[in-house]
Amino acid sequence: MFGGFEIKAVDFENHSQFHLRLMTLKFKLFIFAAGASLLAIGALPASAADATYEIRFQDYHFVPQTLAVTAGQPLIIKVANSSNETIEFESFKLNREKAVTPGETAMVHLPALGAGRYDFYDDFHQDIPEGSIVAK
Amino acid sequence: MNASAKAGLAIAAVMASCAIYASRAAAQVDPWEFEVYPYATEGRGVLEVEALNSVIANGHSTGFNGTSAGAFASQAMYRSAIELTYGLTDRIEAAAYLTTAQVSGHGFWYSGSKYRLRGRLFDEETLPLELGWYAELEWHHTPQFDDADLELELRPIIEKDYGALALIVNPIFEKSLAGAGRRQGFEFGYVSGAYYRSLRAISPGLEFYGGVGLIDDNAPLHNQQHYIFPVVWGELPHGLEYNVGPGIGLTRGSDHVIMKFNFELEHFIGALFGPSAESNWFF
Repeated sequence: MFGGFEIKAVDFENHSQFHLRLMTLKFKLFIFAAGASLLAIGALPASAADATYEIRFQDYHFVPQTLAVTAGQPLIIKVANSSNETIEFESFKLNREKAVTPGETAMVHLPALGAGRYDFYDDFHQDIPEGSIVAK
Repeated sequence: MNASAKAGLAIAAVMASCAIYASRAAAQVDPWEFEVYPYATEGRGVLEVEALNSVIANGHSTGFNGTSAGAFASQAMYRSAIELTYGLTDRIEAAAYLTTAQVSGHGFWYSGSKYRLRGRLFDEETLPLELGWYAELEWHHTPQFDDADLELELRPIIEKDYGALALIVNPIFEKSLAGAGRRQGFEFGYVSGAYYRSLRAISPGLEFYGGVGLIDDNAPLHNQQHYIFPVVWGELPHGLEYNVGPGIGLTRGSDHVIMKFNFELEHFIGALFGPSAESNWFF
């Protein structure tokens, strides 16, 4: 007894068992820390109301060919495929690609864009002229 | 601090956690798949054919060293995996791999097969970090290429884009289900990458691969494998995408120099399922 508390000696069978338990504890702490970080992030609210725009694919071209959007504001682009073939709406600069079957409308979520010009194209029909999203 | 900054700090913390943990523990590197998995999955109904190739330019002359987890030595080994990936839904893809190897002095070998499901959670920009998941079963040709017959591999996928820069982390948890190590716990490894989008035809990137061995019984650092790959990647005419670069081993337990060259082509073949609902976060 020491100051009203009983001190119990931890009796590990050997050093390696202690090492094993220590490593397991460290790993659990690592998993907990990583998981807590992700959960904390997941609890953050998503962006507020996003501006919505539409791009239509018909007659082997995009309409509009140049889409003007507001810079600094998260946005959603509705990609409507009015053709008879599946397209893959893709933007290299925006890191987005989405397959859209005939008659379908897909939603492409984008973060707030800096002012500039961003490409988009149909990755399945590379002969079709590229379009641009212009953020001002 | 805004959400984006918080997300950046968190992804850096996860990457640092991987690095710190790795520095204390062993190695689980899949030499048939030097590839970092992003949040995005294959489009629904799209089939992608990918050739994942690597050659050990300067490795180890005995088995069970470097990238060799079996009896064959890694030195001069050429590995190739053919991967077929199909977009099941807008958020889930399925893939099958056939892996082969040309072994120095031993000819051409079938080395195993793998099957996996991979998915992304929520739509882009719903969370400050893009999150996904990955589950794989691997059969190995033993004992030439591995001492475990069957393994399960699980990965969370974490991605954050900062303008033209994308940061991706795949922590790896692997468990032997049959053969050597089946009575042991999970092994821990990591795959991560930083990619800068400069030109569609050619852009730079930096990839990291490594492993720490068993979670509860890590190998000494000098026996672990850790690699850094400066890569170039992009899309060539006719939609042929590539990712190539040299890998440099950072520890004595690593192979010293690896060259990887991956190529992929995709084509729409028809969707099995309809579009995923906007409100659905998993399927």
